[in-house]
Amino acid sequence: MTSLKRSLGSDPLASNISSKVYVRSTKSGKVQKIVRELYLRQDIPCSSKLCTACLKTAPRDAAGFLPPFVLSAAPAGTKKYKQGHYIIPDTNALLNALDLFETSAAFYDVIILQTVLEELRNRSLPLYNRLIGLTKSEDKRFYVFFNDFRLETYVVREKGESINDRNDRAVRRAVKWYDEHLIQAVKAAGGRKEKVPAVVMLSDDKENLRKAKKDGVEACSLKEYVGGLENAEKLLDMISVVQENREIKDAKTAELFYDEYYSVSKMGTGVKNGTLHQGIFNVSPYNYLEGSIKVPAFDKSLIVLGRENINRAVQGDVVVVEVLPKEQWKAPSTKIIEEENMNKDENADAEEGESVVTEKERRALQDEVKKVHSKTSEGRPQPTARVVGVIKRNWRQYVGHVDESSVSKSAKESRKQQTVFLIPMDKRIPKIRVRTRQAGEIVGKRVLVTIDSWDRDSRHPVGHFVRSLGDLETKGAETEALLLEYDVQYRPFPKAVLDCLPAEGHDWIVPPSTDDPGWKDRRDLRHLEICSIDPIGCQDIDDALHARPLPNGNYEVGVHIADVSHFVKPNNAMDAEASIRGTTVYLVDKRIDMLPMLLGTDLCSLKPYIERYAFSAIWEMTPDAEIVKSEFTKSVIKSREAFSYEQAQIRVDDKSQQDDLTTAIRTLLMLSKKFKQKRMDAGALSLSSPEVRVEMESETSDPIDIKTKKHLDTMSLVEEFMLLANTSVAAKIYEAFPQTAMLRRHGAPPKTNFEELANQLKTKRNLDLRMATSKELADSLDTCVDPKEPFFNTLVRIMATRCMMSAEYFCSGTQAYPEFRHYGLASEIYTHFTSPIRRYADLVAHRQLAAAIDYEPLHAAVRSKGKLEAVCKNINVRHRNAQQAGRASIEYYVGQALKGRIVEEEGFVMKVFSNGFVVFVPRFGIESLIRLRDLADVEPEGDFDPENWTLRTSGSREVKVELFGKVVVRISDVLEEGSGKRKVKLELVKTGGK
Amino acid sequence: MPLDTSTYSLALLRLDGRRWNELRRLTAQMRTQASADGSAYLEMGNTKVICTVSGPSEGGAVRPGGGEEAVVGVDISIAGFSGVERKRRARNDKRVAEMQNTIATAFEGVIFTKLYPRSLITLSLHVLAQDGSLLAACINACTLALIDAGVPMKDYIAACTAGSTSSYSSNEEAADPLLDLNAAEEQELPFLTVATVGESDFVSVLVLETRVQVGRLEGMLAVGVDGCKQVRAILDGVVRTRGGKILEGSTV
Ligand SMILES: [Zn+2]
Repeated sequence: MTSLKRSLGSDPLASNISSKVYVRSTKSGKVQKIVRELYLRQDIPCSSKLCTACLKTAPRDAAGFLPPFVLSAAPAGTKKYKQGHYIIPDTNALLNALDLFETSAAFYDVIILQTVLEELRNRSLPLYNRLIGLTKSEDKRFYVFFNDFRLETYVVREKGESINDRNDRAVRRAVKWYDEHLIQAVKAAGGRKEKVPAVVMLSDDKENLRKAKKDGVEACSLKEYVGGLENAEKLLDMISVVQENREIKDAKTAELFYDEYYSVSKMGTGVKNGTLHQGIFNVSPYNYLEGSIKVPAFDKSLIVLGRENINRAVQGDVVVVEVLPKEQWKAPSTKIIEEENMNKDENADAEEGESVVTEKERRALQDEVKKVHSKTSEGRPQPTARVVGVIKRNWRQYVGHVDESSVSKSAKESRKQQTVFLIPMDKRIPKIRVRTRQAGEIVGKRVLVTIDSWDRDSRHPVGHFVRSLGDLETKGAETEALLLEYDVQYRPFPKAVLDCLPAEGHDWIVPPSTDDPGWKDRRDLRHLEICSIDPIGCQDIDDALHARPLPNGNYEVGVHIADVSHFVKPNNAMDAEASIRGTTVYLVDKRIDMLPMLLGTDLCSLKPYIERYAFSAIWEMTPDAEIVKSEFTKSVIKSREAFSYEQAQIRVDDKSQQDDLTTAIRTLLMLSKKFKQKRMDAGALSLSSPEVRVEMESETSDPIDIKTKKHLDTMSLVEEFMLLANTSVAAKIYEAFPQTAMLRRHGAPPKTNFEELANQLKTKRNLDLRMATSKELADSLDTCVDPKEPFFNTLVRIMATRCMMSAEYFCSGTQAYPEFRHYGLASEIYTHFTSPIRRYADLVAHRQLAAAIDYEPLHAAVRSKGKLEAVCKNINVRHRNAQQAGRASIEYYVGQALKGRIVEEEGFVMKVFSNGFVVFVPRFGIESLIRLRDLADVEPEGDFDPENWTLRTSGSREVKVELFGKVVVRISDVLEEGSGKRKVKLELVKTGGK
Repeated sequence: MPLDTSTYSLALLRLDGRRWNELRRLTAQMRTQASADGSAYLEMGNTKVICTVSGPSEGGAVRPGGGEEAVVGVDISIAGFSGVERKRRARNDKRVAEMQNTIATAFEGVIFTKLYPRSLITLSLHVLAQDGSLLAACINACTLALIDAGVPMKDYIAACTAGSTSSYSSNEEAADPLLDLNAAEEQELPFLTVATVGESDFVSVLVLETRVQVGRLEGMLAVGVDGCKQVRAILDGVVRTRGGKILEGSTV
């Protein structure tokens, strides 16, 4: 192997060393200065197939392979650039319209500059990842040009020049260089001058465009550029309107609705010395004008009330708030306020003459405040605050539909551009003002939009239309909407991922010869009577079990998990894709896999009668379920049978079955009960969330019935052994990698979370809820029973579950050992190991365990704390999204199943407001709001007693609704105007039981 | 923040614009402290090290094994300001102790220690700035300082680091070896430090503290050994320039 000779004297590049200084602030608030050397060079290729000069000096990898040049020799032309053209976007263009670059209709032969890539990475990691994906797709022809490493295009930041200006200048310099370089390249090849493709800079920054013009650099705004394309109209709507609007505003000094945000430095110092607070902004699901922020300085969440105080913060944003004076503190709102009912007739186009708070909103809030002040007793005032700045926007793409009333009738037919309101499906997101030419076409469709900006002079955020998903209420559009809304990656796996699969495909088998390298360090467990127990129809079988008596009277129990880490190697394309997906998402009628089907349902899946690779945890335990010995090993197993829970249960209960397999299941069942008892004694919680199952007609997959899930002993059998395996593995990998073990924790809930529930139980039922430890909570939950109402206990458990923290993945080095605790399971340490086919965390745990038992070395990616933290952060979000998507899917199908039917069912009151209440219907697992105005044609008067959670109505209808009270409701389905969703609607028939 | 090492595969360029087989700029000066018996200042990229030699001085040093040969003592002090974060290193820092030991053993192998019975040769290293390949820079500085002090040695010891881009773990053969890592690369990628004696392939130091697939090791080592030869050529150039100046009598 030879290296390039490079001594100081003879190297022409030796003098071309520059350095780049970055300043970064660490988590602990320190500022670090990072100096990096830059070796400027002249041999970075332009990667145009027109150029031969660059080909000679282009870098080769260590194997001598020269990556092929990317940019086409005959790129597509437009009206303006008939000779063909290459595109160089600046950062703004990518930030505003990456969607455009991803379309297959246009945007080929794009040069991404290093400067831009770096800036984009700092501004938005998701966009950066999408862009990297684009550069890897061969047909789009995206080339990353490292302009900051090339001598001719490197730009030194001048004194007094801002970083942005410097970067813009670097972009212009690179465009110019490309232009000149291509002319030379074509000339050298003897081509005609007209053949030289134009190099076009795309930018939405007016200043940048102006300077480009001055420098003689070919430049175009996105809008102008897209206007010159063939399918301009469709593409034009995808362009953010930010810049355009600003131009209009500049002309007339617009009215300002909102307070200006504090400067970053002012917020920084404020947060540091405690006068300001930073947190994530959450909007109440019942009142769009009320947000809350949890900050460390206060026990209770800070409440942000009203449009002015919310000051343009959107659900999920990281904001800085200022606490308001004590006399303005108040109890959380007891009133339901929904945006679509408040500002129904607002005109999307009118900017002038509107005030930030509409008269209606003001009245609604004033009513609230009055009520609070008239309250005689103590009350529970909560600190209030106002937003003074946004640290980080959490804007994403939103699914919604166009508010039909905002579309002007005349414009429906024409292609005139107009402004319409888009109402997001997520009620916590404010409606978005969108300018479009396709208003007529997108009415009645599910559409995808993004928010571009929210300036002080606009009452609503401004965004742009991305694409239409299809007609409202069609199964395809609604499913895609749901996936987009919860950011589920549902596109088919790209070729790069499929390339990582074993070449044998479905024909892959465990090598017959035990001398094969695949058998190395694998234990042969094919002789064991192993079986799997899963829900009906489960195809991705992660786990299988066995148990057998040992001569000494103890039992040997094994949990065998699919050996996914054998097939998915760290850091390859498949691994990267799985780590982004994070988890398999289960919808009622659809499963979106984390790994390609070939692995998930075949090669990894521990199917019966077939030999499979597995990762086994094997224990020796006494008949009292005391563990004597535990070990972990890679193995080869052959499952004897794949049972459903029901089948397994029937077999166990059938006394005539005395075969080995059934006896083994009975042994497992016996042991699992003892494990469960031990966990319960240690204070594990048994919580509850409403679970229903939608039954589908097999052919049409139309929902026909809804069943509440039945609990079988065999379910807890599997659960107990999975918990055991997870806990054992957690301890093992933590011992091997104290800094970087992938673990799962569940924080103890802060006392204040339970305050309201405890209060309610005390007042309404004279029950004590104690929560000092999980044991106490578990015990006191057991006492929360109503002898007359068996469901009451479940109801309390459902409500208690909502007061809990959510469990999270973390990297062991980031927490102190006591913080590892899993509160709900009452376990000191815990991880996920048992479902590597459908959870990425388990895959990481597998790799770490394999390294811990010296099966294979640990890959750098699962050893670096920083990388693991990033992985944890992502999979925590994905996990939560997957759960929510699953729930939303069930909700949708429950609605579909009820379509056209009217049912009367019993329900329970879970929440009481001053103008409505929330009812939970156990039979369907649904909860829904009943407002005062739903009670009768004329809205009855409501008298709300907040101390006793009682709502008494008078006038057109007289009822008394109490918290925890039983009611009978009529359930029907309606098309909700606001979200365009078909939703179950509840009507109160009467209070009390059936 | 700057990009990370995963962008190597985009254009086969490293974080600082180098290709896989290129050294950073390596410059050095000899006799930087006239008061010492020998001294040198060396920069490998942004890693900056000063080395001074005192000795060979007689007495005091007794080999634990009981031999008569001279003992090489190494003392490394790392300036608090040398890293990204300002921090003081404890005197008995294990990593520093290990480096000291590695350097001492390496040089005892090439110095004709028999010529100085019961003597001590002390190498004092001061690290002014750290940007990767610290051990290699220290070894190279020691070589120059020892030559400056006129301590008889078999040949130069030249050192450098070699790493691997781990972006291709699915296809291990395709991962490129890297020469002379900077700090950012050392943080993210597996790497080893290698030192060879003279122009031979004789490896006198090999330190690998990160995990790496065995398959990649050979490529890394080959690139590292090759890098050592380049380093030796540069060091030789420095020594010859210095020698030329002495002959001219321009400096003392
Ligand atoms: Zn070229």
